[in-house]
Amino acid sequence: MTSWQRAGAAALVLTAGLAATPIAARAQTVFKLGVATDALTLDPIATSDNPSIWSQLQIYDTLVRPKPDGKALEADLAQSWQAGADGRSYTFHLRPDAQFSDGTPVTAADVVASLKRAASPKSQWARFFQPIAGMQATDAHTVTLTLKQPFTPLLNNLGLFSAAILPAAEANAAKLPDMPLGSGPFVVKEWRHGERMVLVRNPHYWDHGKPYVDEADLIVIGEDNSRVLQLESGAIDAMINVPYNQMSRLKASPALRVGSAQVFRADFVMLNTKRKPFDDLRVRQALNYAVDKQGLVRGVLFGNGEVAADAMPVMAWHDASLKPYPFDLAKAKALLQQAGLGAGFSTAMLVPAGDAAAGQVAAAVQSNLAAIGVKVALQQIETGTQWDVTKKGDYQMSISYATSDTIDPDQLFGFLAVNPERADAYHTFWQSTKLNDLYAQERTTPEGPARGKMFQQMEALLHDGAPYIFLYRPTTTYAYRTRVTGFAVLPTSNWRLQDVKLAH
Amino acid sequence: MALLRYTLSRILQMIPVLLGITLVAFLLLRVLPGDPASLMIGARGSDADVLRLRHQLGLDRPLWVQYAIFLREMASGSFGQSLAYRRPVMTLIAERLAPTLWLVGLATVLAVAITFPLAVVSALRRNRLPDLVIKTVFTAALSMPQFWLGILLILLFSLRLHLFPVAGYGSGPLGHLWHLFLPAFVIALGTSALTIRSLRSSIIAVQTAEYIDTAYAKGLTGRMVMRRHILRNAAVSTISVLGVHTGWVIGGTVVIESVFAIPGLGQLLVASIAARDYAAVQGLTVVFAVMVTAISLATDLGYALVDPRVELE
Repeated sequence: MTSWQRAGAAALVLTAGLAATPIAARAQTVFKLGVATDALTLDPIATSDNPSIWSQLQIYDTLVRPKPDGKALEADLAQSWQAGADGRSYTFHLRPDAQFSDGTPVTAADVVASLKRAASPKSQWARFFQPIAGMQATDAHTVTLTLKQPFTPLLNNLGLFSAAILPAAEANAAKLPDMPLGSGPFVVKEWRHGERMVLVRNPHYWDHGKPYVDEADLIVIGEDNSRVLQLESGAIDAMINVPYNQMSRLKASPALRVGSAQVFRADFVMLNTKRKPFDDLRVRQALNYAVDKQGLVRGVLFGNGEVAADAMPVMAWHDASLKPYPFDLAKAKALLQQAGLGAGFSTAMLVPAGDAAAGQVAAAVQSNLAAIGVKVALQQIETGTQWDVTKKGDYQMSISYATSDTIDPDQLFGFLAVNPERADAYHTFWQSTKLNDLYAQERTTPEGPARGKMFQQMEALLHDGAPYIFLYRPTTTYAYRTRVTGFAVLPTSNWRLQDVKLAH
Repeated sequence: MALLRYTLSRILQMIPVLLGITLVAFLLLRVLPGDPASLMIGARGSDADVLRLRHQLGLDRPLWVQYAIFLREMASGSFGQSLAYRRPVMTLIAERLAPTLWLVGLATVLAVAITFPLAVVSALRRNRLPDLVIKTVFTAALSMPQFWLGILLILLFSLRLHLFPVAGYGSGPLGHLWHLFLPAFVIALGTSALTIRSLRSSIIAVQTAEYIDTAYAKGLTGRMVMRRHILRNAAVSTISVLGVHTGWVIGGTVVIESVFAIPGLGQLLVASIAARDYAAVQGLTVVFAVMVTAISLATDLGYALVDPRVELE
């Protein structure tokens, strides 16, 4: 044996021997959740990525929060609230027993300071809170907000993570501390960036008895398959984003349970209606008839989703009777014929690079459209570039999707269907004056069936106008070990770790 | 003394190289389509919101001002604030540097440990069964995608045999070694596939040299000749292959980091490019450049140690 060989063999023996080191026993209950990406920041007003949002929701409270079904709001820090009859004021009554994790009570002054910060120019979310003209701490536990004009989505916006309530001293400081105080169920004990965030239960949480676990670790495992392997080995207790093709295998495992949550997300192909031939409604509808969406749900999602009738996720007031464009090649050809394009045409489609599902959708749509004589050239594009290119209108077709931050359909309609508003109907440049009017009307109508009716009309207009090829609404998959109860992905894509219980 | 003077002069030479790299990194990022502010605001804000954020981040200032700020922040050692993380870039890098260095270091040690014995066997049993087996196995290892090989090893060694953890970085030096063994082994397999071939051919070439006959003639055993004369001479070219490859590995660990959930620099770089986090990408580029030049310096110093005829100047 040469000395090199000896050294190598010694290293192997040493390393293998370490495997036998026992892991210290813990009396505490620790729930380990495998996530794909780490959070970027704990500052609610500087947040734009989902992992940061999901972590913050474990640490901070908001005045109100979405119910687990995502259809309405429920009490959080505010145990009750009233809207003024003219829609221009809201009064919130705080829980008298709510405390930050250091034991200091949450007061109306903290709420006012936090909301002022959220509406300030340094907030990326200012637009959501700017309709508030005045904020008043009427007494230690009462806050009154006044508006210049009625703005119904406001209440939902107050349930957003960006409206998290921080101590006034931190909210008023020039720079938020790296680990701000919250009054939510958990406190950050340690954050090893890119590796894990260790959350421990907040002993002062107002919802007494919760959280049930002493510690919840968010463990970053970027590769989907590695996350599955860690779950199977028991190194983690639960994971989100199970690859669709592994769902049936995990479902069959006696040690695991799987879930498939209908989240606020819809996938589609954007059509640039400023460009020929997409300026013609008949062409856009023909493309919708020509794509076999049921095939995509089967082939790409392995059944984890449903065909979409429009670009909106299933949210409050969604009209279930609105039917998707059926797969009908004859109808598609007839519509192209009427548009004077019986011989078909050539076009190009942007495909986000590195997104396996988008690649599969692209190939399927390409072959579907070839059947009606539409030749689609696929152009891979890096996602950071895709936004700028479509915003400039420098494209023909583009695969994309939309998700909602709030449970109010107002936000997504404003983005996907209203032109100009914020994004020229998500860069499709499609415009429906009728829809624009309904949007303006809906925002000042009190929440209730009358407003719901407006959303249903808007959804139908979007369906008929077809500025997108509407594809599907995918679910978010997750899996957990059988000793876990109470873990679920909510329609808003987040989870409430305070509800998780571990059996021994 | 000559060694020290040489090292110092090489370090001085690094400065213009690094300045050039900062300029290229800075300009490439600005040429790239996609804007950090509009990526951050996304669908949630209007053009006015994007403009306001650009102003807050200092992205609306003239390019040369931004470059001067970058140089100043680099000189101060902070590399500025990351746009996405809102923390000093140097802090971000410091947190991720250790896992990457452990991984690359362990992979290099393993590669050397694999290369020497197998290259000797291959050379001595040239074109016979052991040589063919080694060649086939390592060519296969080199052609396999790293993430797939990684997952296969996790399935076998972690899930079936429970010898190694499924993933992670561990704590304490022994914990790091244990956690990083499988990922380092995957990288080492790829490296050894190259170094075994290189060392094998060098050994074969050196074996026919006249001084080897002399060594035998003066009565040395085959093992002594191999160790003192053949390996020492043959290793010179392999050191340069190893050096170049390790420089490449440093920037290319992202796949392995992702499969084995290691919080290293590769993942940070990819995430930062996707977010157009200018400050973070610039800082990382400089750090990578420093590491690669340091490895090339170490390689040259390695020659001098192995081969006294190499003169450093």
